[in-house]
Amino acid sequence: MTALLEVNDLAVSYGSVPAVDGVSLVVLPGELRVILGANGAGKTTIIKTLLGLLRPRAGEMRFGDTDLGRLKSHQIHMLGIAWVPEGRQLWSTLTVLDNLRLGGFAVADKALVERRIGQMFDRFPRLRERRDQIAGSLSGGEQQMVAIARALISSPKLLLMDEPSLGLAPLMVREVFALVREISAMGIAILMVEQNARQALKVAHWAYLLETGRIVESGPAAEIGSKQSVQDVFLGGHA
Amino acid sequence: MDLLVQQLANGLVIGSTYSVVAIGFALAFTVLRVINFAHPDIFMVGMFTGLLPASQWPALGLGFAILAGTAGSCLVGFALERTVIAPLRGRDVLMTLIDTLGVAIALQNGMALIAGPDPVAYPALLPRHIIDIGPVALTVRQIANFVICLLLLALVSLYVRHTSWGRATRAIAERPDVAAAFGVNVSRICQFTILMASAMAGVAAVSVGTLYGSASPFVGLIYGLKAFVCMLVAGNRYFEGVMVVGLGIGIIESLVTGYLSSSLRDAAAFVVLIGVLYFRPNGLFGSYAT
Repeated sequence: MTALLEVNDLAVSYGSVPAVDGVSLVVLPGELRVILGANGAGKTTIIKTLLGLLRPRAGEMRFGDTDLGRLKSHQIHMLGIAWVPEGRQLWSTLTVLDNLRLGGFAVADKALVERRIGQMFDRFPRLRERRDQIAGSLSGGEQQMVAIARALISSPKLLLMDEPSLGLAPLMVREVFALVREISAMGIAILMVEQNARQALKVAHWAYLLETGRIVESGPAAEIGSKQSVQDVFLGGHA
Repeated sequence: MDLLVQQLANGLVIGSTYSVVAIGFALAFTVLRVINFAHPDIFMVGMFTGLLPASQWPALGLGFAILAGTAGSCLVGFALERTVIAPLRGRDVLMTLIDTLGVAIALQNGMALIAGPDPVAYPALLPRHIIDIGPVALTVRQIANFVICLLLLALVSLYVRHTSWGRATRAIAERPDVAAAFGVNVSRICQFTILMASAMAGVAAVSVGTLYGSASPFVGLIYGLKAFVCMLVAGNRYFEGVMVVGLGIGIIESLVTGYLSSSLRDAAAFVVLIGVLYFRPNGLFGSYAT
């Protein structure tokens, strides 16, 4: 199968400090892949570079037949890539409804956007109740639902999820991972970065291990999860 | 009592003008992170480009003068955005501040070279007579200025709240990166924002020129200072907050003129600024972290 997303030898630096150093990865259509790594390993840097928010120093990023390296962020979004940012990053002074509408900013058919927002409200009834509240007034879990719904309004081919479980209560974490599985079952390809390795490995098809900007392990999620080195570092020594 | 109501009305008339200029500042600062010190002089240019055809062909009336004023201010706004603001967007806020200040000085003295440094008479585009509304007496010009400015403010508020581009504008103000990643062409909306602010300034400038019957190359200074104070007092989180503060500063000035002394009028805004920032450093309605 041809890759939906293909990254070759990507290198990104902040000034002279390398953050990502020669990373290669692929995501196949409909697949869920996860990048595991500690704080500062370069996970968010990879996501932001794919979105055109950071410029790579070297390397190649292809989405289907398109070279992402030449495009601006809004053009990359139009190809069918959506983002669930780390820490939600909602527009806190805008209402829930306006946040979702902006998720469909690039969709020309506004009636379609309103229909999809209706579908999201069916899936998340709590958000329908809060549609006219400003997003900043929602709980962390509710905000995460808005962030995920916002990313789905454009009906993307690839969803980039940056630590969707970060800072949530344990019950909410389980709900988020169930939702990730649900989105994946809809056929949307997902590239997720996570620190919660145990949960992430349960839902993912394939996993990469990132350490100080380099991929040190790569393989099917089940295989990676059973490796002793992974268990020691990410799973606290017991599976 | 009558004096109070009259001064309140006078204050709203001038305050609505402060609000329009202040919104121009606030749009540039919130959306583009640019302190556009040339904005008051875009207002000034609009006042003169409106004056020119109006004094040649007075029969064309206020509407045509406003059109000409808007065209002039938009032209300068467009050029400023292309040559100074867009190339420096994302850089240190001080850099555009200094550059736009330079443009402001050039615009003032350029206009002084063309039109002379002294105030010139503005054509009488509206009658002078006074209309009594209950206990309040206002001239036709005052009423027109208030209505025009209020209309502009209402349009901006409708735009940012109820249109797709307006929502994107507010989205850029809070999180430009996320807006871009959701398909918003940030540089195009930034360009439009500066044009919109310039157009509003042009409309208001012709209205103010007509209200006071004079135009001067240095008229931007005082409006610029007051409008800048309005933005700082309100904070940049809500555009409507800036509008309300503009009206409020107008009223306070007018009350100071009526009850204390007109020589204290210009100090009032700064007393308010110091007082508000002492207790609420992010402004009355809050600011985005920058």
